[in-house]
Amino acid sequence: MNAALRKLFRKGSPAKEEIDAFVESAEFPLVDGDEVTFVYRGAADAVYLRCWISGFDTAQPFQLLNGTELWVSTIELPPGSRIEYKLEIEAGGQRHLIVDPLNDVVAHDPFGANSVCQGAGYERPRWTMHDPEARSGAIDSFNVESSAFHEARNTSVYLPARFRRNRRYPLLVVHDGQDYVKYAELKVVLDNLIHYLEIPQMIVALTQSPDRLKEYAGDDRHAAFIANDLLPQLANRFPLLDDVAARGIMGASFGGVAALHAAWRYPQMFRRLLLQSGSFAFSDLGRHRRTPVFDPVATFMNAFREDPGELSGKIYMSCGMYESLIYENRSLVPRLQSQGIDVRFEEVRDAHNWENWRDRLRNGLSWLFPGPLWMVYE
Amino acid sequence: MTHTILLGPQRPIINLGAAIVEAALPDGPLAVISAGWQEAEGDIDDIKSIVERPLVDLRLYQRAEEVFAAAPDLLSAYRARQDRLQALQRLYRLRLRRLLSAARQMLRARQEPSLVESEQRHAIAQLRALDRHHIGRVDSVHSEFDSAFDIVTHELLARHVTEIRGLLEPVETVVITGGNVAVLINRLRLFGVGELLAGKNLVAWSAGAMALTERIVLFHDNPPQGRRNPEVFGPGLGLVKRHAFFPNARTRLNSSDRVRMQLLGRRFAPAACVTLDSGAVLRFTDGRIAAADGARQITERGKLRKVRRQ
Repeated sequence: MNAALRKLFRKGSPAKEEIDAFVESAEFPLVDGDEVTFVYRGAADAVYLRCWISGFDTAQPFQLLNGTELWVSTIELPPGSRIEYKLEIEAGGQRHLIVDPLNDVVAHDPFGANSVCQGAGYERPRWTMHDPEARSGAIDSFNVESSAFHEARNTSVYLPARFRRNRRYPLLVVHDGQDYVKYAELKVVLDNLIHYLEIPQMIVALTQSPDRLKEYAGDDRHAAFIANDLLPQLANRFPLLDDVAARGIMGASFGGVAALHAAWRYPQMFRRLLLQSGSFAFSDLGRHRRTPVFDPVATFMNAFREDPGELSGKIYMSCGMYESLIYENRSLVPRLQSQGIDVRFEEVRDAHNWENWRDRLRNGLSWLFPGPLWMVYE
Repeated sequence: MTHTILLGPQRPIINLGAAIVEAALPDGPLAVISAGWQEAEGDIDDIKSIVERPLVDLRLYQRAEEVFAAAPDLLSAYRARQDRLQALQRLYRLRLRRLLSAARQMLRARQEPSLVESEQRHAIAQLRALDRHHIGRVDSVHSEFDSAFDIVTHELLARHVTEIRGLLEPVETVVITGGNVAVLINRLRLFGVGELLAGKNLVAWSAGAMALTERIVLFHDNPPQGRRNPEVFGPGLGLVKRHAFFPNARTRLNSSDRVRMQLLGRRFAPAACVTLDSGAVLRFTDGRIAAADGARQITERGKLRKVRRQ
């Protein structure tokens, strides 16, 4: 049992007032070295920890502590880890998922909010937080007429602070770009890293698909949209460096697949790839072991592994160790390296979520697009 | 009596105005060189509001752009020179890495002093010899270019130089901002501005201060992709003798690494390695340090101490 709980129960079942004081003063979940104890207080028939991470039971049961309404569940979590979770409460024959009422730290994603457990030693990087010293870039939007999709696609574009038309800029295309801004603080990170001179001033196209599971899954129409619709219209509208090494493409999860696929289909277009927790399902023999939505992904990945074509340049990849996708991501690295691609792969104690992707942006962006830090002394 | 005032970054602490007032620099307009800001050159309204004097913008960055656009032969030779300089810098780094690694090991060695001290001195002498060699090579690449595109005989360059001289003539004080030190020194050289600054009061911060020294030392111990070795970039204007400046050292320099600091102090001696953090001011009057506040010198023992008046 966790030391704080042991102390609470040292004289047997604590009184309600003692539990009130304990709940008021402690920080939840209770982190003690590599042991994390989740606590729920309330009437229930059963309580489960749900964190959808590889390596844990899908629903870890809580235990009710004697004579109280305190439920606890302890897991082992190595230092530096960060996981997102919910509590599943079973009562009166019903089950429902809730964020942890005792934990104020939450993360958001397109499906809602999750509670966040920060293991010992994890600290949110400062460069992911608003820095009043950093000048703010602007986000505009415009419609990209798409011949690939036969419709206009609204695209947002980040322009750095002190943007000037007479200067030429590197370009980064971001899949799920608006989600990156909303859930991974992409704009704050860009403002900060540009301000710290760790990346150059750059233009960032934030694309968003209305049907990402289909269009990002190795769909040639999407690659054509990026190469033949988006890039030329961006080049017409904004002063971009005419250098393939100054063009990057990135994405997470299925967005990572879309980025790799577009760069594979149009290798002359991109030489800088940032792939986060890519859903790179493949099979060496027979059918892959994932859901049918991965079928086109596996078709693409199998073809890619067979022949990476002319893909070249630098690729930064990251993946959480607590993701089932870690296997696919690890497997991809030597294949890319054997192609002569300069690959940097980072594994972290995190899972498949936006804050994992947020926390890796500095390493990825500053490696792919080194800023003028060395030469600039403001 | 001429003053050279060197400052740290003007964010978060702005001490440009106070330094000018304190030195009692003569009234009248100030010339400004902000080429280090590249495309943002000329965004000098902030400076104007701080110094409350008329400003004369020398527009060195923009002038260079105009020259490049009008003289393709010069642009192509300039690019070729830059390519050569970058190649030289890469070669220098290869050798520097080995020598620095050896020198660090020597400084960490704990053997009998009579044995190890001589090896330390020799390791540092080798580093200094490499730095000298590199600066000589860089200088000769510059000289080659300068003789092919002479600021007196090259019509376009000469016209700009005449204009700059005309702008500087009535001005007693020149302000040089921070920014990209490579861009700044290249523009200063292109128009021979160093000679035109003789006899003027100079107020410079960060990259501006570095450009005034005899040799420019690039450094950053904490970049996101791992620390790099401090390296000599090339000659500066040489208007401030026997000093190397390290702006924003609190952020860029790992001062707790005694061996690293010791190497800096010893490698560049007798030049004094001086940090210029935001708020720091170092004033030379007729070549001697007349005032120093917040600037700290890296000693040959790797410690930081206050800069003393001379």
